[in-house]
Amino acid sequence: MSNSFKSARPDPLLRIDAVYKSYAKGAPVLRGIDLEMAAGERVVVIGPSGGGKSTLLRVVMGLEQIDDGAITFAGASYVTVTGRRTRIDARVRRSIGMVFQNYTLFLHLNVVGNLILAPCKVNGESRKTATARALTLLDRFGLAEKADAYPSQLSGGQKQRVAIVRALMLDPALMLFDEVTSALDPELVAEVEQVILQLAGQNLPMIIVTHDMWFARRIASRVLFCAEGRIIEDGPPEQVLGSPRTERARDFVHRVFHIGG
Amino acid sequence: MDFNFGLIWKFAVPLAQGLGTSILLSLICMALGSLLGLALALARSSPSRLLRLPAVAFVELFRGTPVLIQLFWVFFCLPLVLGFEPASFTSGVVALSLFTGAVTSETFRAALRSIGSEQRDASVALGLSRWTRMRYVILPQMALRATPVLLSNSITLFKETALVAAVGISDLMSVGENISNSIGRPVEILTTVAVVYFVIAFPFTRIVTLLEKRLLRKLAL
Ligand SMILES: Nc1ncnc2c1ncn2[C@@H]1O[C@H](COP(=O)(O)OP(=O)(O)OP(=O)(O)O)[C@@H](O)[C@H]1O
Ligand SMILES: [Mg+2]
Repeated sequence: MSNSFKSARPDPLLRIDAVYKSYAKGAPVLRGIDLEMAAGERVVVIGPSGGGKSTLLRVVMGLEQIDDGAITFAGASYVTVTGRRTRIDARVRRSIGMVFQNYTLFLHLNVVGNLILAPCKVNGESRKTATARALTLLDRFGLAEKADAYPSQLSGGQKQRVAIVRALMLDPALMLFDEVTSALDPELVAEVEQVILQLAGQNLPMIIVTHDMWFARRIASRVLFCAEGRIIEDGPPEQVLGSPRTERARDFVHRVFHIGG
Repeated sequence: MDFNFGLIWKFAVPLAQGLGTSILLSLICMALGSLLGLALALARSSPSRLLRLPAVAFVELFRGTPVLIQLFWVFFCLPLVLGFEPASFTSGVVALSLFTGAVTSETFRAALRSIGSEQRDASVALGLSRWTRMRYVILPQMALRATPVLLSNSITLFKETALVAAVGISDLMSVGENISNSIGRPVEILTTVAVVYFVIAFPFTRIVTLLEKRLLRKLAL
């Protein structure tokens, strides 16, 4: 009976099943992560440093080998483990975009070059149409005049906005943001968060790791509290940020709010 | 002691020919050596031991022995192994290219290692295949970073080509030495030869500095 109920439900957008991960030498970093995320959701992940948040996003992006478990995107299994090898389906992975904490623009290419590399080389789009799309997108995010600039000529905030636009060029169905503002000077944080809010307004599903509790509250439809490689709390923002059930989460939220002012 | 530098003009033609040989030798060996160096650097960063170990052995061998002995080995021992004697210019090219390969492999390897892992992460996240990543992200950045050092490598090579005088190739050094010996005017001739090497090499060192400043700063590499 529960079976028929399950199969009648639509596939979740993202489904993480019992994922375990340890780095080459060292203790496990993810210790059994289970998560189902629906297409409408914006999941914010919070938690102490070293808790495995970045690793979780990297695993979902298919950047890391895992020890055990599986990840499914829109019904298609794309991270699986057979024996000791992790198999990653690059085709499925293409629906996911990621922006990192550190700057990852290609330093030898200007902004447009950064934006069109993957569309041209991966999707076989023509230079001309990709460039036209790039200019339109840059314009939409207030970066039009930076089209020919090299990454070294951009501010940190501009670099991160370009990195977001670069991911958007591939029409992702899920975006991952790993502390994309934490390397920025405080006055540059807002312009990047604004872009992410803009995307949220268009209902783009996303998973966001952030220490900015104000931003978390504004953007989250769901909040996960992660520590020691496990999801310790999972619920709506009011609950996880407002009245956490576990003492760990309560301590953490209080401390971060306190430091954050 | 009276020096007569005016007399060098009598030998301008053979000296110029010698210089031509030195430059040609440098250009050929730099081109071949860089290709070899790139291949060695990639082999050394490969996960496969089968590729890595021979590359490491080759580089260490050539960096750990005098260039002169490498040159002699290629000239006098290699023909015995091969069973025939290549033209001396060819042997010179072979020896100096192997040496340059060992030197530039270090240059390429350092350039490769200086590319942060975030460039790989971003490439994978954008769905670039391994080959596309190599061709459009890693190699161009590696080339940019390596360029100034490769230019200084080529200055070093240009000066090292003087060693081929020892095996009878008529490069600038060898021509100068012969003239100097035959007319007994070492001061005029050898000084002139030294000045010519310097006049060629020095602008290059300036270009290297300029490139480092301009290009690399612009790209913040
Ligand atoms: N490449 C790596 N190799 C080895 N250990 C790693 C690597 N990356 C992360 N770790 C370890 O894995 C653990 C989790 O790291 P992770 O970066 O996922 O945490 P995080 O929650 O993102 O922390 P932060 O808030 O500081 O970004 C840490 O103990 C870290 O030292
Ligand atoms: Mg992190």
